[in-house]
Amino acid sequence: MEEIDIKSLKIQLQKEIENSGDLKELNDIFNRYLGKKGELTLILRSLKDLPEKERRETGKSANQAKQEIEKAIDEKRQQLQTTNHKLQTDWFDITAPGEKPVVGHLHPLTQSKRKVEEIFQTMGFSVVEGPEMENEWYNFDALNIPKDHPARDLWDTFYLGNGLLLRTHTSPSQVRFMEKNNPPLRIIVPGTCYRHEATDASHESQLYQVEGLMVDKEVSAANFKAILGEFFRKFFNKNVKFRIRPDFFPFTEPSFDISISCIVCNGKGCSVCKEGGWLEVAGAGMVHPNVFKNAGLNPKDWQGWAFGIGLERLTMLKYKINDIRLFRSGDLRFLQQF
Amino acid sequence: MNFSYNWLQSFFKQKLPTPEKLAELLTMHFAEVEEVKKHSKDFILDIDVRPNRASDCFSHIGIAKEISAITGLNYRDPISIIKEDKNIKARNYISIEVQHKFTCSRYTARVVCDVKVGSSPKWLQERLEACGLRPINNIVDITNYAMLEIGQPLHAFDFEKIGSVNPSQRERSSLLHFIPLRGTHERIIVRFAKEGEQIITLDEQKFNLNEDILVIADSKKPIAIAGIKGGKGLEIDEKTKIVILESANFNPQTIRQSSKKLKLKTDASLRFEHGIDQNLTEIAINRAAYLIQEIAKGKTAKGLIDFYPVKILPKTIKLNLNYVRSLLGVKISDKEIKGILGRLGFKIKVKSEKLKAKTKNSKMLEAEIPTRRLDVSIQEDLIEEIGRIYGYEKIKPIFPATYLAPPKRNLDIFWEDVVKNIFKELRFSEVYNYSFFGDNEKKIFGYQVPFLREGTKVKMRTQSSLPKEQELIELENPLNQEQKYLRASLIPNLLKNIEKNLRSAPQIKIFEMGKVFANQVLQGRMQVKKRAQFSSPPKKEEKLLTGVMTGDAFYEAKGIIDLLLNKLGISNFFYDEYRTAAQEEQISWWHPKKAAEIKINGERIGFLGEISPRILEEFKIKTKVIYFDIFFEKLSKIASEEHEYRPISAYPAAVRDIAVLVPRDVRVEEILNKIEIAGGPLVRDTDLFDIYEGEELPEGKKNLAFHIIFQSEEKTLSSKEIDELQNKIIAVLEQESEWQVRK
Repeated sequence: MEEIDIKSLKIQLQKEIENSGDLKELNDIFNRYLGKKGELTLILRSLKDLPEKERRETGKSANQAKQEIEKAIDEKRQQLQTTNHKLQTDWFDITAPGEKPVVGHLHPLTQSKRKVEEIFQTMGFSVVEGPEMENEWYNFDALNIPKDHPARDLWDTFYLGNGLLLRTHTSPSQVRFMEKNNPPLRIIVPGTCYRHEATDASHESQLYQVEGLMVDKEVSAANFKAILGEFFRKFFNKNVKFRIRPDFFPFTEPSFDISISCIVCNGKGCSVCKEGGWLEVAGAGMVHPNVFKNAGLNPKDWQGWAFGIGLERLTMLKYKINDIRLFRSGDLRFLQQF
Repeated sequence: MNFSYNWLQSFFKQKLPTPEKLAELLTMHFAEVEEVKKHSKDFILDIDVRPNRASDCFSHIGIAKEISAITGLNYRDPISIIKEDKNIKARNYISIEVQHKFTCSRYTARVVCDVKVGSSPKWLQERLEACGLRPINNIVDITNYAMLEIGQPLHAFDFEKIGSVNPSQRERSSLLHFIPLRGTHERIIVRFAKEGEQIITLDEQKFNLNEDILVIADSKKPIAIAGIKGGKGLEIDEKTKIVILESANFNPQTIRQSSKKLKLKTDASLRFEHGIDQNLTEIAINRAAYLIQEIAKGKTAKGLIDFYPVKILPKTIKLNLNYVRSLLGVKISDKEIKGILGRLGFKIKVKSEKLKAKTKNSKMLEAEIPTRRLDVSIQEDLIEEIGRIYGYEKIKPIFPATYLAPPKRNLDIFWEDVVKNIFKELRFSEVYNYSFFGDNEKKIFGYQVPFLREGTKVKMRTQSSLPKEQELIELENPLNQEQKYLRASLIPNLLKNIEKNLRSAPQIKIFEMGKVFANQVLQGRMQVKKRAQFSSPPKKEEKLLTGVMTGDAFYEAKGIIDLLLNKLGISNFFYDEYRTAAQEEQISWWHPKKAAEIKINGERIGFLGEISPRILEEFKIKTKVIYFDIFFEKLSKIASEEHEYRPISAYPAAVRDIAVLVPRDVRVEEILNKIEIAGGPLVRDTDLFDIYEGEELPEGKKNLAFHIIFQSEEKTLSSKEIDELQNKIIAVLEQESEWQVRK
């Protein structure tokens, strides 16, 4: 009978030791079984009342059990004292805020420009640049915008004297490029342009524009639609719809106004698209024969299209920026968000 | 421009689509309708007519014809049946003289007698108001009405107020208007104003005229600014009995010139500036005379006075139908093309046998263009007409089928991207600033040429060189005084950025890549020669890469430039002390002792330095600022992607320290050179780790401490070998009389 008691006691004890979570609990277990009034202590103490043979046998197994248990408690104590366990029990608040690393930031217009360049480069377009100080020939006359014609009033211009001006668009690069390079050609021309225009939340005197030009034997408005549609979908990473409406630019015929379905409301109508569902983002058209002529090409041999997109506008839509003046504010609270 | 829906409806028997639907159709096929507004019982459509269509569509008829082409509804011309009174002859009242034919290709006039001036009927007033015009009296309102309807500006004046007709004659003639008196015949002259002439317009504005301004005059003085505004004194009032109607076609450039000179724009000048069909004058004047007949009970005198030396006839354009399909990229049928052209009022001519023979199977047709369509002159113009009426939305996207050549790599842009990425890695933020300066920047910076531009010697300006303000390019028409000049440096605006951001950021590192602009300063004799040729010096733009950082960070910035150049595959660069000439010190931007030129192969590619405290004070910046300024175009030409891996030695490196006490003015570079030459190839690297100047040291001395790293690629160096090298270095350093190696 004592045998069984000792055995079951031992099993129970080992279980309790195993389950104990900290040193205090372990101490309690020790006291309960091996302390002065502990269960095992009492068993050992009661041995003296047993007959000789029985005393020896039970005593042996009880002492053995005592040693085993002491050893188990010791091991457990050690285990509880290891670092690993300390890590488990240390208190730590992961919800406290992380420290902000200092990183550099590229201007959002640089990021947009790179994206535009990347998309067009995959479609075979080279990137070229042109001067910001232009002469009247490249900025106007060569683009079929005659002197003393109201069409010139479409571009409010900063003049520098001596026939020089700040380019009002990147379109002069069309003629500059075609003078030196024979078609077929596909280029985009990113660059700063200037408009003599008072600034407000949606108007700027200094703008970043991207010009596009494709010329080949047989290039059509349908091709233009395909390439520009692909561009918009890739730029906004969304299935944006776009539409062409008639417009007028002296250097394209036919001329197009390009709108995309509002990327904020997906064309349902919101404050960004003034409830119209569409956003005007670019001007475009088929290259006017006079532009080919002025670049030294025979218009009978070539067909082409060109477009001009405002990078600020695209970037504002992409990041939902509400004031165009932020781009050139130099305000790090704005710039460091990109 | 505002158009009345009801008015547009008046040209159609059938009902027009609803205003919203009509707006949508016009937007998709003609021009954007920016707004549809309700206006009492009418709707106003605000249509953004593009400049090429101003000649025919700054008019209700023009828009109505567009609607007809888009919808297929039948357009009807308004009525203008004039009953001329045989007993009154217009030529007895007036004659026309045009002094310069090119200024006025047509001048049409009519005389309407016995008019009853009063207010216009309500329907007419409402239409004018819908279009934003204020009703005045029936005669004036009718001229405005005809203009809004047809697009031809008209002018009416009181015959009896003209020049020589004196008040006593006025009384008589108003009674005897059926029998005009001999000698009351007036000459109307179209001529340029004479210097010193003046005119007071209907709205009491006084204008000084000159020889650039075209006027309508009687025998004595200008009575109207041609094509822009009528003069006071001849206006129609309630006593007016005899009305002279003028409907003319003036040269667009002439009117534009007058309008610009006088800073006066009117509904009339707007239309003339864009050019109008000469054949409209007659249509408009007859319409106005008819309305005066109906509304003001006038009697139209017999005869149209018409100066029209060269009659304009419709032109014909050859159109290749295959080209239409090729340019638009759609399979639109011949029939459909012809249908669209027909709806637009372009007559398709039957192919002549000659043309048939010439063109054989190619699909050619000839279209006759109504004279009102001044915008259509080439084949492509017709293709636009076909495309927009057909509907651009119906064109299906097709990717070009041609061979796709890989795009050419643009190295400038490639390096620009590389450089910007490097600065981003170095924790700089990129800014974009405006390309302008004001007088303030000009004054503060004083325009130090050598600081900004390559190729100019560090030399004080001599008497013969350009005055400072001519270095900056000044705008002829700046937006405001703060943006009067084009920037010649990126630094001023970057300093403004620092000042602004220091409130919210303790430490700032920013950079910009952008263009700077300047007049080229020509030196000596060249300058005299060139300036004789050009009225102003040549202008130049250049791309700069400029960075600024706050704090005492000269060496950090130098390390950044080292890293930048290394990453661009440039190794043969060095920093040259940049000495400020004594005279320059007062105006220099930079700290006189902390300024270096960055040179590659002996050529200057930029500057590195600390901004002078004087400048910082002007910008209210209370911390030190280090800048670097690099001619990016030069840099990108030298940059290379080649980068060679240097094998990591399999043998251990040994580090020995060395400290040298030297006079204060000895440069670190001198010591480094000596160590490296003496140590030879086994000196893998030398690091300066401490510079000390203090009281314990002898007067005028400083202590420099270096780690010297010895390493071979072939074996483990023994301590004996290292000691020998170390001793050799020490010996070389101590050859200098005032240098002392501290062991």
